Amino acid sequence: MPKAIGLVTCNYTTASKDDVFSGRPVASMPYLGRFRLVDFALSNMVNAGIRNVGMIMPNNYRSLVDHVGSGKDWDLDRKNGGLFIMPGTAFGTSRTGARFLIRDLVQNREFFIKNNEKYVVLSTANFICNVDIKALIAEHEASGANITVLTKRASCDGNIDVVTFEVEDGRVKSMNQGVKFDQIAFLDYAVIERELLLELLDSFAAVDHLDLFEALNSEYDRFRVVAADFAGYMKPIFDKPSYFKANIDLLDPEVLSELTDARPIKTKAHDNPPAKYEPGAKVSNSLVASGDRIYGSVQGSVLGRNVIIEAGASVRNSVLMQGVIVKSGAKIENAIIDKANVVPAGTELRGTDGDILYLKKN
Amino acid sequence: MLLAGGQGSRLGVLTSKVAKPAVSFGGKYRIIDFVLSNCANSGISTVGVLTQYRPYLLHEYLGTGEAWNLDERDGGVAILPPFATQTGASWYAGTADAITQNLGYLESQDAEYVLILSGDQLYRMDYEDMLATHKANNADLTVAVMPVPWEDAPRFGIMNCADDGRIEEFVEKPAEPKSNLASMGIYIFNADLLINTLKEDDKDPDSTHDFGGDIIPKLLAAGKRLYTYQFKAYWRDVGTVASFHEANMELLGAEPAFDLFAQDAPIMSNSSTRPPAFIGPKGSVDDSLVDNGCTILGQVEHSVISDNVFVGKNAVVKDSILFPGARIEEGAVVINAIMAERSVVKAGAHFGSADEETVTLGDDAVVEKGE
Repeated sequence: MPKAIGLVTCNYTTASKDDVFSGRPVASMPYLGRFRLVDFALSNMVNAGIRNVGMIMPNNYRSLVDHVGSGKDWDLDRKNGGLFIMPGTAFGTSRTGARFLIRDLVQNREFFIKNNEKYVVLSTANFICNVDIKALIAEHEASGANITVLTKRASCDGNIDVVTFEVEDGRVKSMNQGVKFDQIAFLDYAVIERELLLELLDSFAAVDHLDLFEALNSEYDRFRVVAADFAGYMKPIFDKPSYFKANIDLLDPEVLSELTDARPIKTKAHDNPPAKYEPGAKVSNSLVASGDRIYGSVQGSVLGRNVIIEAGASVRNSVLMQGVIVKSGAKIENAIIDKANVVPAGTELRGTDGDILYLKKN
Repeated sequence: MLLAGGQGSRLGVLTSKVAKPAVSFGGKYRIIDFVLSNCANSGISTVGVLTQYRPYLLHEYLGTGEAWNLDERDGGVAILPPFATQTGASWYAGTADAITQNLGYLESQDAEYVLILSGDQLYRMDYEDMLATHKANNADLTVAVMPVPWEDAPRFGIMNCADDGRIEEFVEKPAEPKSNLASMGIYIFNADLLINTLKEDDKDPDSTHDFGGDIIPKLLAAGKRLYTYQFKAYWRDVGTVASFHEANMELLGAEPAFDLFAQDAPIMSNSSTRPPAFIGPKGSVDDSLVDNGCTILGQVEHSVISDNVFVGKNAVVKDSILFPGARIEEGAVVINAIMAERSVVKAGAHFGSADEETVTLGDDAVVEKGE
């Protein structure tokens, strides 16, 4: 059934200097109460029947390995295949904008050689989306392309980290860094024949400091790279505003359902009790994860696991990661509160719509 | 050895499709989670689970035992349904008979002690502590007991003991109890004694093959060292709809009788990975438990809500227990009710009332408006 192996590159930084991303790889960024960003890439792969996924790791991989473990929560603890934790090169970690750095792929050439499946599905961990990769592979086969890239027309100017393609009649002509309104943005998912990928790695060996799609810039006439449009909800996460928005967007039940119901998003299982709402709790328009205890008021917010909102405390339009404790009478508005922070009694933490306050990891 | 084959017939429609140990409890658990978590938290890594009545969901839920850290190479979880031999096949005819039929499994484990458990009770216990008591008493059998109100004692199996805890007499449902120490159906046996006693009991045509009714009286008569282990914390045998409802409600409030959030001995479960619960702009939740994957657009009060439950706009849920996937449509009112898995109360319909006994709705059942 699976005719593809997957590769998720988790080792690239963003151009953003927002300290939301300091101290952990983007791939292990907590998201939507109980997930980590990498869950989407891994789930998209396994939902297509792929049971052979390599993850190229950043040097600060502790949190990522802690999260994925043996891969069993994604059914990737296989006798044959399964989850492969692979080293990235030092260069990849420092180079922004790269997705599939040739050096990183060459270093892990063995992974592509020893598996016999026909295709390789490439992905990063920065895009929130629920993609039917089985359909993408089918589309790739039907079009006879050398490479199929998943794309979406940008609805507004976007981040410098997002890659765009110049596309003519569905065929990629060149790749550029940064995205402006109406350009064709790359969603970092691609399907390529394994044999072709190995060929490309050999022929690009001399320019291994480049990204695969960057190196192809001189070759788009020779190789047929086809853009496949993605119609669903997606969000690139490369800076603080996009991270915040990608959480708050999910307060729309339709978006939430689209992102999490079409195909299940799997994540590390935890033994938390259900969220407990104490007498007098006031919660509206919010996402509340298991293990939370709420005595106070929560509005328009996303709460991670094991959060405690004490009596008289209020949280509005904010994202609280797991283990945050908001003491009695504290007020939080327009903020991202990172893991395990204790917001003291009576404190006020307020950002604005345009400038979200960020309280770093404790 | 975990006895999980019971039907729990007094739970009515709640056990029409699943065994009692597999019944949903507390918003994200199934009843058997509590005993399995006790095993895991007590360092027991070999558990035989004896199943019989409607076992599919139970078997699927147990899986490899991974959720309770019981997926071990040596030992771990073994699911033990009735099976056939060269001399024929028979159902488990009693608690002791279920173990007798699996003596082969028991002997293959080469254990020194055997803990006999019920898969349908709610409590937190450190079995290591009970075993320490068993060893300290140099006992042949230790029975966990708990004090019950004197007026309730005639409903239980009562142990009359000496001051040091040695059992002198066991009386099933005594009209005039001499003690209020009730057996919890939790036993630690020296393995050799258990195996020999069960083999003898198996040959006794007059035996009903029950631990309380046959095995304990026989061991007492034989002068064996039977001791009690006194347990004083929370313990519930949720045998009836009323007690099942009450036990769920005891999880609520600022100081619940049973605290799911206690850190020292977490209750583990084979849980789903659904997104957090969504509480809608006009939704409200008060004094309740709500698990992941729920959508709450209406009003929830003093209730226990399992994963993937939908409560529509202007719907009201009060004093109720909703199992996974239950659906309460727009404007419906559910009060003092237990709705089993994927059951539906249609838009505008009413189910249950505060003035009557708790009502139950079976798996996949539907209540239409005007019914």
